[in-house]
Amino acid sequence: MSTLSFTLRQAPTQALDLSALIPSRLAGLSTSDIENLTLGDDPHMPRVGDIFAVSGSLTDAVAISGNSSFLDYVGAGLDGGSITVEGRVGNYAGRGIKSGKLTVSGDAGAFLASGAKGGLIHVKGSAGDFLGGARPGDKFGMLGGTVLVDGSVGERAGERMRRGVVVAKGKFGAAAGSRMVGGTLWTEAGFGAHPGPLLRRGTLIGPSVEVLLPTFADCGHIDPVILRILSRYIADTLGPLAPKPLPAQVRKLAGDRATIGKGEILLTA
Amino acid sequence: MSAQTRNGVVIDDTFAEAFGMSALGLVITADTLKWANICATVMTGFGTSVIGAGAECGIDRELSPDETPDGRPGVRVLMFGFSPDALVPQLRNRVGQCVLTSPGSACYNGLNSPTTMGLAAGPRFFGDGWQTAKKLGNRRFWRVPVMDGEFVIEDVCGVTTDAVGGGNLLMLGRDRAGLLEAAEAAVAAIAKVDDVITPFPGGIVRSGSKVGSKYKGAVASTNDAFCPTLKGAVKTECSPDTISVLEIVIDGLTSKAVAESMRVGLKTLIEVGPSKGLTRVSAGNYGGKLGQHHYHLKDLLP
Repeated sequence: MSTLSFTLRQAPTQALDLSALIPSRLAGLSTSDIENLTLGDDPHMPRVGDIFAVSGSLTDAVAISGNSSFLDYVGAGLDGGSITVEGRVGNYAGRGIKSGKLTVSGDAGAFLASGAKGGLIHVKGSAGDFLGGARPGDKFGMLGGTVLVDGSVGERAGERMRRGVVVAKGKFGAAAGSRMVGGTLWTEAGFGAHPGPLLRRGTLIGPSVEVLLPTFADCGHIDPVILRILSRYIADTLGPLAPKPLPAQVRKLAGDRATIGKGEILLTA
Repeated sequence: MSAQTRNGVVIDDTFAEAFGMSALGLVITADTLKWANICATVMTGFGTSVIGAGAECGIDRELSPDETPDGRPGVRVLMFGFSPDALVPQLRNRVGQCVLTSPGSACYNGLNSPTTMGLAAGPRFFGDGWQTAKKLGNRRFWRVPVMDGEFVIEDVCGVTTDAVGGGNLLMLGRDRAGLLEAAEAAVAAIAKVDDVITPFPGGIVRSGSKVGSKYKGAVASTNDAFCPTLKGAVKTECSPDTISVLEIVIDGLTSKAVAESMRVGLKTLIEVGPSKGLTRVSAGNYGGKLGQHHYHLKDLLP
């Protein structure tokens, strides 16, 4: 499998939209065509060739050597194949991803995986605020797919998220799962303050909560079968990167009862 | 007809006539294999013939924890009916009354097929508004709160219209108890074939039927040609020494699976039959005009 590589010539000085650099949009283009693509909607924006040195040929893999928080929309709309980023990325990485795999070796900015419908995103660093969240104008946040963050996650992860699974080896920041309507947030390290404000449905899984909202009801210990299904699903999806299987018993906190309250925080420790 | 003989058993030159059917598969899991089997046995009970029972149901095979979505032991059951529509009430009632109620059970799709039907369409409403769904990948699981925790049931299950019902073997013998043992051995061999069930009690039926009856309202009646007690009184199919006739009926997800089942059943009968009083093997058909699938015994001989 040959890879099409983009190597940053110099650090960019303005936010760039890299959503054009996905395999399906690059297929059939010559190197000069690719170098001529603009990095944004505005025709006056820099072109790929101004910013990146392009090398290699495309089958279904794209490699980006970047390490700049000005690289926005990396892997946005990805619908097959893979994108590997060396270094950090900016905001909206993996926005609307449908299938395929996006790997970021550094940190990701805000709104990682917002509107994602499928696929797999692996961030080896940490992720910013609103991971899987809804952007203003969006009805929902993440709608499917799987996100794995090796580090920690910013505030309000899963804002209005509807489906999909986010796994973090590190902690989630404050107000994770806010206004969430479905899906799963799973941390091996714990939640910050006030997880699940106005959580309608959906599942937050972790060993601890810094400060619990008073609108969550303690349902005690339970041993639901869905934990086994979830553990097996994540093991199948992430392979050796998967977190440890969930324990047989967890403590359930039902809420947010300030709204319909069919969501849950499941404490694993 | 030119019958053949194998190991002293006469194999009639005839064929089993089977019909196209619709079928679905489910995976039922529980905390232990014992409870998965209890649940599956009750759920597939009274599932012998579409004519009177509404659906033909049975256990295909046991599943190891590695093969189930929740990593618990399980059982795969198959249900056969005239059409997907005819399976809808059967599925709803059997799952609602026998799987939902069984301690520790969970119920998943057990047949990959592009065509699906609602599996949780009825049972999830038992949750009275507390039911929630979790979609993982392309599978949606409903979680229904019940007294021992949660009943998990997958949203849809696959259904096929390429299934085959009515593959069969007729066994004629001169010892009733022995013939039953030979039939049991054949059923045990068929149970090892995937994608098939033998829906009658213990896989064996003793009341083979013919189409029609002298009585109004009865669609089927006893197959007098194979009744040993009538062999002098009717145009009989029995041999002079026939004391008992038994039948194994086979439903399969594919025609190939039915043929393979008949092949292994026939092989077992030829091997163990003679010592048990088996004298002849035949097959049931309606002259070949009703069923789309014909399985000639001579093609299945070892």
